[in-house]
Amino acid sequence: MKARWGLLLLPAMFVSLALLGISQSVFLAGSLHRDLGAGLLGKSWTLYNYAQFISDSYYLETLELSVAVSVMATALTMLLAFPVAYIIARMQSRWSLVLLATTVVSSFVSIVVKVLGLILIFSANGPFNKLLMSLGVVSEPVTIVGSLTGVVLGLMHYSLGFAVLLFYSVVITVPRSLEDAAEIMGASRIGVFRQVILPLCLPGIVAGALVIFNVSMGGFTSTALIGAGKVLTIPLVIERTMLLENGYGSAAAVAALLLATVLVINVVSVATVSRMRRGLIL
Amino acid sequence: MKPFSVSPRARRALLSGITLSVAYLFLLGPILFVALASFDYGQRAYVVFPPQHFTLAAYNHIPSRYFTALWFSIKLALACTALACLVGVPAALGLVRAKLPKKSLLLALMRMPLQIPGVVVGLAFLQTYYAIGSATGWYAVGTFWGLVIAHTFAATPFVIGTLVAVLQRFDDTLEEAALVLGASAWGTFTQVTLPVLKPALFTGALYAFMVSFTDVPMGVFLTAPGKMTFPVEIFNAMQFDFDPTILAASTLVTVLSLAAVLVVQRIVGLDVFVKTAGAD
Repeated sequence: MKARWGLLLLPAMFVSLALLGISQSVFLAGSLHRDLGAGLLGKSWTLYNYAQFISDSYYLETLELSVAVSVMATALTMLLAFPVAYIIARMQSRWSLVLLATTVVSSFVSIVVKVLGLILIFSANGPFNKLLMSLGVVSEPVTIVGSLTGVVLGLMHYSLGFAVLLFYSVVITVPRSLEDAAEIMGASRIGVFRQVILPLCLPGIVAGALVIFNVSMGGFTSTALIGAGKVLTIPLVIERTMLLENGYGSAAAVAALLLATVLVINVVSVATVSRMRRGLIL
Repeated sequence: MKPFSVSPRARRALLSGITLSVAYLFLLGPILFVALASFDYGQRAYVVFPPQHFTLAAYNHIPSRYFTALWFSIKLALACTALACLVGVPAALGLVRAKLPKKSLLLALMRMPLQIPGVVVGLAFLQTYYAIGSATGWYAVGTFWGLVIAHTFAATPFVIGTLVAVLQRFDDTLEEAALVLGASAWGTFTQVTLPVLKPALFTGALYAFMVSFTDVPMGVFLTAPGKMTFPVEIFNAMQFDFDPTILAASTLVTVLSLAAVLVVQRIVGLDVFVKTAGAD
């Protein structure tokens, strides 16, 4: 019986690893050839595309912009998602299940629909600006669509749902009695948060932050639509270079760098979290 | 604490209420707003809020290309789901149960597509299809199966992930009991193992379906005129020619998606979703 499970795994593993290996190695190989224009690649192997990335300020600015946007989106998502997850986890009513279910269900709505809604709400004559203007906060509509703010909002919207679920699963592992005990012993709310909740949730918070950052770095759909072609992050540059300029080699090099960034962060995340769990850090 | 201030308990409840309202208004507002705006149809390229009229005109004017794309997307997502299960179920069973060296590395490799941004997957498969095309003369770019393969690649880890999570908690003695009591290996699998796995299987399948059904970045690289997925069709319309009918088409698809979730929820219950969604 035991031996058969291994046999069962073979074809599935073969298919999965073949798809992974072939697709990734083809484009990585492509990144090592120079573009000759019209979608043709040179024959000789070269690091030209990577050298180009490092020396060309256009690419470096793109990278800087992507990191900045992703860091902002990550920070803001966490500032909203963690309290929400905490409140839901500590709720003692059926509402907690309703809120969790709503979060899960909303994640199944197509991203283009959500982004369409975001654009309508935050457009110059949308309800958000109307509200701000009627409250007298601003006199002119705030430009959100086609700006950095809009792109950050789009990324936040994309991450918020799964961040809440992720942090919920973290907070739920911290027994409420620990907080009660700390409070009875005279700790303030802030004290409880800093000395009980935060240390116990830290591995989960770090892991969650890195997941959100990775997802933001790879964010394409919302950035393309809300950025309206004015905010070009790495994924957008990859798409444009490949599809509009037929720069197979250079697009592949940028994609390889994005992939490397995401994978390195992931490995660092796994390593950090497991060290934290074993008590080696902090 | 000053005697006239609100109790800390009430203040905390108020603060919690505000936080939840802001978060869920942000999360659900856009979806509801699209639905609301779809009933206010005018010959203009923008949306007026609050809605001026209530009419189904936008629904009557949905261009046929959206329905063509929707049907294409449904077929694509079904094929992708079937293939993802065909690969993912045996992979998950093997990964949890077989005695293998380096199992965790293998699991990490099988889940790797989750880490790869959609744009990179799209680009990688596009270049792979070009390479295969120039070698064999068969180009998968802009074909149904070209999209199916890329989507399956991205969707399979969801099936593997949900199943592995359940299999690791699976009580082996159930199967042993069935075998001892005279059930065949196949009978044990279909009558004991499969029913226990059913909720995870449905959840994984739903995720796989949605990965394909809502994908834009892979589709941008791999679709072609006439072989358009619904989200890419909407994506293009939003970039190049906004028309109020996309509100109606989007709302229709949202309702369809929610109906699909509801059906699966009826079969397996929602707690599986919450458990498996948090796990990734």
